[in-house]
Amino acid sequence: MFRLVAGMEETLMTEMAWRRGAVENIDIFANAEADTELADLASDSVIVFDLTGNIRYWNPASERLYGWPAIGAIGRNLSDMSSNPAFQIAQWQSLRQEGRWEGPVERRTLWGGRITASVRQTVRCNADGEPRDIVEYGRGATKGSHLSSAPNADVHRFAAASWALDISRVRPLLDRMGDLINEGAAAELAQQPDWMDELLEGTRIVNVNERAAHLVGGHVGRSRMIGQPVGAFWPRVGRGVLAELIAAVAMDHSPGVITRMRKLASDGVLRDPVITAWGSEEDGRPDIVFVAVNGATDDDRSFWYLRASEERYRKLIHHLPVALLQVDASRMAPVFEELRDNGVNDLNAYLDEHPELVDFMKKVVRVTEVNQRAVALFNGTVPADFIGSVGFLYEVSPETPRRIMLARFEGRRNYTEIMKVRTFDGRLIDVRLSVTFPAPSERLDVTLLSLENITERLRTERQLHQFETEFTHAARISMLGEFATSIAHEVNQPLSAIVTNGETSLRWLSRDNPNIAKVEQLTARIVSSARHASEIVQRIRGMAAKHEPARIALDLNQVIEEALLFVRHDIDAKSIHLSARLACDLPIVLADRVQLQQVIVNLLVNSIQAIAQESRSVRQIDLATYEDGEGAVTFSIHDSGPGIPVCNLDSIFDSFFTTKETGMGIGLAICQSIILAHGGSICASNHPDGGAQFRFSLPVLPKPN
Amino acid sequence: MDVFEAPVIAIVEDDEAMREALSDLLQVIDLPCHTFDRAETFLAALAPGTFDCLITDVRLPGISGLELLQRLKGMGSTMPVIVVTSHSDPNTRSLAIAIGAHAFLTKPVATEILLQHLKSAVRHDVSPGGGDGGNTDD
Repeated sequence: MFRLVAGMEETLMTEMAWRRGAVENIDIFANAEADTELADLASDSVIVFDLTGNIRYWNPASERLYGWPAIGAIGRNLSDMSSNPAFQIAQWQSLRQEGRWEGPVERRTLWGGRITASVRQTVRCNADGEPRDIVEYGRGATKGSHLSSAPNADVHRFAAASWALDISRVRPLLDRMGDLINEGAAAELAQQPDWMDELLEGTRIVNVNERAAHLVGGHVGRSRMIGQPVGAFWPRVGRGVLAELIAAVAMDHSPGVITRMRKLASDGVLRDPVITAWGSEEDGRPDIVFVAVNGATDDDRSFWYLRASEERYRKLIHHLPVALLQVDASRMAPVFEELRDNGVNDLNAYLDEHPELVDFMKKVVRVTEVNQRAVALFNGTVPADFIGSVGFLYEVSPETPRRIMLARFEGRRNYTEIMKVRTFDGRLIDVRLSVTFPAPSERLDVTLLSLENITERLRTERQLHQFETEFTHAARISMLGEFATSIAHEVNQPLSAIVTNGETSLRWLSRDNPNIAKVEQLTARIVSSARHASEIVQRIRGMAAKHEPARIALDLNQVIEEALLFVRHDIDAKSIHLSARLACDLPIVLADRVQLQQVIVNLLVNSIQAIAQESRSVRQIDLATYEDGEGAVTFSIHDSGPGIPVCNLDSIFDSFFTTKETGMGIGLAICQSIILAHGGSICASNHPDGGAQFRFSLPVLPKPN
Repeated sequence: MDVFEAPVIAIVEDDEAMREALSDLLQVIDLPCHTFDRAETFLAALAPGTFDCLITDVRLPGISGLELLQRLKGMGSTMPVIVVTSHSDPNTRSLAIAIGAHAFLTKPVATEILLQHLKSAVRHDVSPGGGDGGNTDD
């Protein structure tokens, strides 16, 4: 029944003997870490216990064989694990007499079953020849085994990640929960998942084995996990299960070791993981809870590969220069499913009637992880500041959660918007929020929120916009100055008519037989002319006023007529012939009236100056408007001037580019910036018939329906 | 020229309000007039002896006021031409006078001054409020 230890163990023993020789009088398992390490690597169970049966050392293979993790086994008595105390006493006597014993033993396993192991026990002596402790090598009995182990024991052939946890700090919480349960209010607990986080944050790690550290410790390492909250390391999957198990173990005061097992969803590292928890049997340690997670890994390579890739991912996330929040929205999935099952297709309408669902979402969707950039964005101190309900994010953007829910309900993979958030130190910042939802097939339901701080960008944009508005305004004022004569003429015209009509009226009135009917007619004309003058003044004032650009529906032809007001006098004075072929029924454009006038006046002035430069017999400006059939209306101006030198065509819209001795060269640059701001385009070219041609197009306002 | 017959005045002015205002002014002092919105239509209506005086704006679509004046002089017309304009610049004034304008007046025109120039142009009594039987209109 007993088989000799395999080659590797032989080597191991040789190694250990050699070491013992080298470090005489030293308790190898207590002090020589190198030897412990070798035993750790053994594929068979290696256990060391003292003469009273107290376990001193328990290697990973023992964990695999019996299920009990080292943390849970060391300090216990081996007899606790024996399922046949009588047999063990007989075996014990034999061992003490002969110094060695080998044969089958039946032991209790962690998962509540029994296992038969073939063991070889050897008593070790100290330098004085006194028995010191017993070393046991063992492996699971295979052939001829008459005692069955747990039915699914092979699942646990791989070592557990094991934890010893201290729950003393969460006793008050557990007591409150106990009261709730006693009052029959357990359902309330389910609605308040906060207790889980509180429990896991308050439960401290007393010890973990290397495997647990490998699995979830990340780059922290085993030693630095100790003393930390278990919540800081426990994988997101199964947090609820762990919390429930801890609570169950802690609130159970019945005697003896009661192990509680729960299956977990596969987390990508362990296949079919099973989590087991039990209380400490030792007296005076009622606040220690042991937890073991068993599960198979496919193979070491994939295990390490997965770890490495996860580590890279974690590092990437943590060092990405974008604020990232990982949220667990899994509790919304059943809610949405239920809504669909109940025939809700229009969530928007449903939320109108049930706004409380949005509040529910803000409560149950929880932030589970954040990166450094997110901590910095909110001016927080540690990622832990963020762990909890996601509601704080939407405090100053209360409509945002609803839009996120709609996007999620519609099955979209992502959603983005610009929103405001309040940082932990009370500042309001503008952020671009991007939500990436998990695909339906992903069961982990990891939703990622990224927040990009665009406060500065928006401020810069506003400033730029302000500068642009002021610059455009300044250019208009300077333009108006140039047209002082023209403007005076335009206002003078109706004023002259008023003066003449007024004097004529006086003449009619001063007659012996005043012609009242005539005076009435003339007075009506005076009013009309005065109105006309007032309109002109208003238009000039509009040009001169500083105003925020406002887009309104405009007829481009009408804007041209208004613009001509400013230059008509100049055109006449320079004997230029102006022709305008303006298309009838031009579609409406959405634009700022004054800015559009400014563009047209600028282009007209450009043409007038080009023509005035030289004394040709043909002095002509042709204006035209037309619909280009592609959703745009075009304005074109062609002059009989000398045209644009080809080398200047590319730079003609650049600021401060000018070929004139006077002028700043901002006119065309402003034209371009105005047209671009309206979503249009502007271009300059030389006309085949000579002279320069400028054209700009503006998008047509879509007709309703 | 028959002293018992009122002289006929022609007005060329593209601005409708001003055109009507001038026409009404002449009406109140019992001077018959014809109005034209541009020089071309006036020239078409022009026949020897039709008009005794012309009041024209400088800025006109097509043929300008000064060009019209030049053409009339070129045709040997002796009809006095009063130029009324918003162009107050001295160059235009001296050019108009050089070409042979009877008077160069700046808008808004003081009625009294316009009537004085009209009077000197047509040697007709156009004194303010002249005559009792003035209610000829309507």
